[in-house]
This record gives sequence, structure tokens and C-alpha cells, in this order.
Amino acid sequence: MKGLMADYSGAFDPTFSHGKLAQETLAKLMKATAEYMRRIDGHWYLSVMEKWGNDEALDCDIKVWERLVTYEMKMLSSLLNIHGDDVVTVMKALQASPWTLTYACDIDVRNNDEAIVTYRNCPTLLALEKEGKGREGLICQELEPRLMAKIAHYFNPSIEVVALKIPPRSGNEDICCQWEFKLER
Amino acid sequence: MAELADYSGPFDPDFSYDRFTKETLLKLIRSHAEYVRRIDGQWYLAVMQECGNDAAFACDAIVWEKLEAYTMKTTSNLLNIHGDDVVTLIKALQANPWSSSYKFNVDLINNDHAIISFINCPTLLALERDGSGREMLICNKLEVRLMELKAHYFNPNMIVTPLKLPPREPNSDICCQWELKV
Repeated sequence: MKGLMADYSGAFDPTFSHGKLAQETLAKLMKATAEYMRRIDGHWYLSVMEKWGNDEALDCDIKVWERLVTYEMKMLSSLLNIHGDDVVTVMKALQASPWTLTYACDIDVRNNDEAIVTYRNCPTLLALEKEGKGREGLICQELEPRLMAKIAHYFNPSIEVVALKIPPRSGNEDICCQWEFKLER
Repeated sequence: MAELADYSGPFDPDFSYDRFTKETLLKLIRSHAEYVRRIDGQWYLAVMQECGNDAAFACDAIVWEKLEAYTMKTTSNLLNIHGDDVVTLIKALQANPWSSSYKFNVDLINNDHAIISFINCPTLLALERDGSGREMLICNKLEVRLMELKAHYFNPNMIVTPLKLPPREPNSDICCQWELKV
């Protein structure tokens, strides 16, 4: 669109707002912000772990995300008008989550009450694997199932979430994790 | 392809944010800025509850000592904001991921000298409501250091002087005020 800025290399604009940027630039900014969120979370975890150990860091992580997952679902569903009590509603919210911008995930919707979500790329898992301390054993096997359930239960407490595959992986070519979301009516 | 105002329609296997109207993207940008603030805030509170305020403050300082340069680097690279003067810093402050959560006025005296006044700060409002005086540490110690880190990312000779810091005078509409000068 004419007049929109591809970047902010020009002169200082006292009335600058993100609304003056081109849509493509906004999309890049959103991706960068999603990565920024991941880094803020990661740096907090690491700073607590370095000072007080992994148990303390994991306790804080659980507290933080049990609160924030609900906040995120509420924010997304009200902002994007995503409402419903079936599995496909949960899938729409997962697609729209800012976190999804930093991950590569496939969603196989079998019907409105059943779906399989497969994460093919997860920068957090890559960082944990590189670190080599086996922390994915706690984060992916204990925290993530709780958070996936929390996401689903925001829309319907009867949705069952089953981890079909979670780390450790057999190798770099392996998927990161896979989840089944199901609602029996 | 028609642009979407929201995602109330059917599941789209090829969903991406590109499908949304600009207005919706702007709402998402604002809500993501608030989300960023909450991630940081919830971590602070969780550590404070587990280990006390000194511990939370120490971690906060470590986290942001590392992340401020990253914030400025990604914002300036993505939006092509480069330079070593005060006006460059102001442009990065206007556009960074936090900016939608705060309101500030800029008095640009010249490219190397500006006064920036924050007139709305949800973090300060939360701290004032909390009532335990944590703004004395967060605003008077940490934020001073962080404003310097932001300024020095563009120019290590930039001088940051806090003109006004919390606690605020009753009915004051300024949360904090800074002079930036090269």
C-alpha cells in the first residue's frame, strides 16, 4: 500500500506507530517478537537455574506457564473470536499462538473432535539437546503435557490430551513431539 | 485472497498471520507486547514467591543485562534503524516490542539531545498497586542501567540522565523522564 513504511530507516517521525509500517514488515516484527518471548522465558529459566538449581527453576517455570497459558488462550480467543468447545477450536488457537511462529508444526484434523499435532522443529528442544544435561526429560515430559492439557481444557475440560511421542529423540531427523487431542461425546 | 478480521471461520490448514487484515495484525502486535511484559512480570513474581525479592531482582538484572542489547539489535536490524545519535535511539524505542505497552512523549531538541517522558507505564502502575515499594529498586536502579544499555548499544558516549523517577508526586502524570545526550 502506498505510503506505508517497509522499515524505519527514514527521518524520525514524532507520530510513529506500528500502523505506519507495511503489512509484510508487521509480520516480520511479530515473528521477531515471538522469538523474543522465547528468549525472555529461556533467560529467566537459566538465571534461576544458575543461582538456585534446576528444581527451583522448573518450579518457577510451572507457576509462570500455568498462569500464562490461560492468559494467552483468553487473549487469543477474544481477539480473534475463536470460540467453541471442540478439538478443532483448540487447533485454531494453537495455530494462532505467537509461539507457533517459532516452531514448525503440522496439524492433522481427523474430525472436529480429534486431531494429531506434530512438532517437527522446536528451538527449545534443540537448545536443551545441545546443552546435553537431559533437561528435556523434565521440560518436555512433565511441564509440556501439563501445558497442552491446560490449553485444551481452557476450551473444554473433557478434551483428552495424550503425548504420542516426546523427547528424548532417536536423532536429529526424528520429530520433536506429537500429541493427540480427543473429545468423546 | 480475502483478508480475515478474525479467525471465527472454519479451520484453515494453511493458516498464517498473513491472512489477517492490517487492523487485526496491529491488535495482535499490541497484545503480544502486553504478553512480553507479562512473561517477564510473571517470572519476577514466581521467583519472588519462591526465593524472595532480592533473588528475583538479581535474576531480573541478569536477564535484562543480557537481553537489552538483543532487543536493540533485532529492532534496529529488522527496521533498518542505524546511527549513533540520540534520534536513532528514540526511533528504536518507538518501535521495539515493548513500545505498544507504554506511552511516552519525546521532546527532540536536536539529533543529539532529547527528553523522553513516559506518561503511562503499566509496570509502575502494578508496582504502585502492590504497595511494597519495589519501584525503588526496579525503576531507580534497574531501569537506569537498562536505559544506559539501550543508549550504549548505539553509542557508548551517549549520556543518560534520569530527570524524574518514581516514587511519583501525587497526581503526577509522568512515570519517569530521561535526558539523552551525546
